Amino acid sequence: MNIIEIRELKKNYPLGTTTVHALRGIDMNIIEGDFLSIVGPSGSGKTTLLNIIGCIDSASEGSVKIGGVEITSLNDIEVTDMRLNRIGFIFQTFNLIPVLNVVENVEFPLLLMKKFTKAEVRKRADKLIDEVGLTDHAHHRPAELSGGQRQRVAIARALVTNPDIVLADEPTANLDSVTGGQILELMKEMNRIEKTTFIFSTHDENVLRYARDILKIRDGVLVKE
Amino acid sequence: MKFLIMISLRNLLRQKRRNILLGSAMAFGVLILVLATSFSHGISDIMFNKIVAYVAGHVNVSIREGKGQMISIFRDRDRLVKIVKEKTGDKLKDYDEGIGIFLRAIGNGKAENMVLVGVNMNKTYSDEQRKEYEESFHMIEGMFRDLLSTDVENPVILSKEKAALLNVKKSDTIRVRFNNIYGQTQSARLTVTGIMSNDNIFMQGVMFVEIKNIKEMMGYRPYESTAIHITLKNPQADAVQIADSIHEALKPGPAFIAADLSANGIRAKATIIPYMGNDDAMKKIISSSFTLISGKMDDVLMKSGVMVSDRIAAKLGLTPGSKMEFRYKPKFEAKIIPHSVEIKGVFRSDMTTGSDTVYMHEALFYPKFYDRVPDLTADVKDAFLPSPEAPFYKALGTEWVLLDRTRDSDEMRKKYRSISKRKIKAAAVDVNSMYESASDVLKLEGALNIITFGAVLVLFFIIVVGVINTLRMTIRERTREIGTIRAIGMQKKDVRTIFILESVFLTLFASAAGTILSFITMWLMSLKTFNVIDNPMGILLVKQHLYFLPTIGGVVKNILLILAISVVTAYFPAKRAAGMRAADALRHYE
Repeated sequence: MNIIEIRELKKNYPLGTTTVHALRGIDMNIIEGDFLSIVGPSGSGKTTLLNIIGCIDSASEGSVKIGGVEITSLNDIEVTDMRLNRIGFIFQTFNLIPVLNVVENVEFPLLLMKKFTKAEVRKRADKLIDEVGLTDHAHHRPAELSGGQRQRVAIARALVTNPDIVLADEPTANLDSVTGGQILELMKEMNRIEKTTFIFSTHDENVLRYARDILKIRDGVLVKE
Repeated sequence: MKFLIMISLRNLLRQKRRNILLGSAMAFGVLILVLATSFSHGISDIMFNKIVAYVAGHVNVSIREGKGQMISIFRDRDRLVKIVKEKTGDKLKDYDEGIGIFLRAIGNGKAENMVLVGVNMNKTYSDEQRKEYEESFHMIEGMFRDLLSTDVENPVILSKEKAALLNVKKSDTIRVRFNNIYGQTQSARLTVTGIMSNDNIFMQGVMFVEIKNIKEMMGYRPYESTAIHITLKNPQADAVQIADSIHEALKPGPAFIAADLSANGIRAKATIIPYMGNDDAMKKIISSSFTLISGKMDDVLMKSGVMVSDRIAAKLGLTPGSKMEFRYKPKFEAKIIPHSVEIKGVFRSDMTTGSDTVYMHEALFYPKFYDRVPDLTADVKDAFLPSPEAPFYKALGTEWVLLDRTRDSDEMRKKYRSISKRKIKAAAVDVNSMYESASDVLKLEGALNIITFGAVLVLFFIIVVGVINTLRMTIRERTREIGTIRAIGMQKKDVRTIFILESVFLTLFASAAGTILSFITMWLMSLKTFNVIDNPMGILLVKQHLYFLPTIGGVVKNILLILAISVVTAYFPAKRAAGMRAADALRHYE
């Protein structure tokens, strides 16, 4: 079953007097529970595609459906709710909230949902922190963690709301190869445990071996599915 | 919300140096603001509850009669006090007769021009009032209550400065010369029973004596009153409204005397009614409304003019040039004094003039009327009073002339100038609030309000510049973080709330620190003693110390004002931050 359906997706950026065509007409389907890598060189449109799937950027043309919902017609509040409830993000630079400790960072999306009790929130966060192996660091602030540990927190935060999709934009780019490998193993493990669809972008051919499916993108178009 | 508050509070601690700097600037502004408002409140308190209350009251009912309207006298004290009490109700703090006379005081080999002021010692004072009085007098010799002493002649309290000038000490005698209410020069002896040390310049040049004694010295009778000074619990809110309602209640009724007439051994009852004859317009009304059977209208319109009705003339055998006596029972005196007047004319009576009536020129009428006031409310049943529709009603005299209300001292001065031109013979009653009678003193409050406003502007500038700059820097530094929380699923309004809350908390902490510092500063400043004898600035002091009067309401108002400025200032940068597109914010690099 397709969790994402994209048709004729185009994204244009105005740049001074010219227009940059970041995506030139993407058609693709992604099945539920996939562990998919989007590969391409810098400037190929990987991040733009992930941003549009993640509802943090808008399409210039075309259709994007997530779980059957056409996201291009949603308003800001609905789109924000879509991100909160159905999508998790893992960023290249971890992007943890520096004033919150590990548990609080993981709890953050659940607290925004405003539908769980404090005990439920804590229980869910503790479970994810345990799964990413950071129980001993639960009360550390991000500044007290290594890069790999921070990305583990980011993975736990992305998964804590039990989203349909987790988007990871070059999740290993800021990590050494060993740690990067561990993170990808963890993501794969979480994909197996949580049955969540993982889509991650990379331009590193070495990390492709972790992917179940690979999409190649070049100059804003898919090269091969 | 709890979560947003937690994030805001933690964010505040991120840029400690910057926030401490901005917070310190805000705290300094709050310090100045609280200091300025408390000082201004203190001055207002001194002005409204001490200076203005002592000098003229918050509302002042003054009554002037006699030649040049120089005598301050109301002939029916109880009636006036009843009106004052009725119209002030529970807003009344106190009322008193205000009496002060300029006199020449001669001490031991030295003389000085001074003011003698009456103090009512026979009232029941609340503990608060008594404490206030005792603090005001600040006795260094003798006791405040010694003014009631009956062992010595006219006990008096004066300041130590004036005691030194007159070379007198406790128990010495001061001889004084002054003019009484009838314009006669009088002398009296005062006995020094107390000496006070007072930093208030208004108190230093004044001798205080029990009001009963000063009224006797001046020639007042027990039922007569001087001007009434009214002090109110909340003068700023109520003074004008109370003055207006007392003014309304003091609208005069018609003046008349229900008299027994006698001439040629015959007696008759008649109503004596005054007419105004000092004004050409009024003279015209009288001459056109009355038809004289005998006598000349010119004579009637003179100051000694009296005209009797044809019926009274016939009954008593009166013609122009003949004399008639009249007498009546005064309201307050047992003794009945006959008055003799010469008839100048006999008029043809009708329904409007009344047939048992005597019309008398106001110049002749009022001295007799005021000397022994008749009981008008009791006598009205025996009297004939012309209808208000009578063509000459406008030219008839009233119990007194009630002067129009004015709104400020300029209007009041204009009113007095116009009154002096009218040459009215009846007493002139005037009701003023402190906004007219003490407006010059109150201007000081205006100046202080300008200082306070200046402090608010400085604070406003600090907050606007500080908060906007701080938030700009913060938002720039946290752009990727804003992108992250928006990507995770935080709504725009929550992002906005976080930034506004940061400003609110910073302002609250700064306000609390500034308020605490201001109280410490006020305490330190009020420890300093200022020796300002004979200096007008002494009125700003209480017991030679600066007087601050911070109020909870004032402090809360200041903090709310600052918070409002802070929220409004923070709103726009916060809105800009919340409005950033997540994708753009995430792409941001410093």
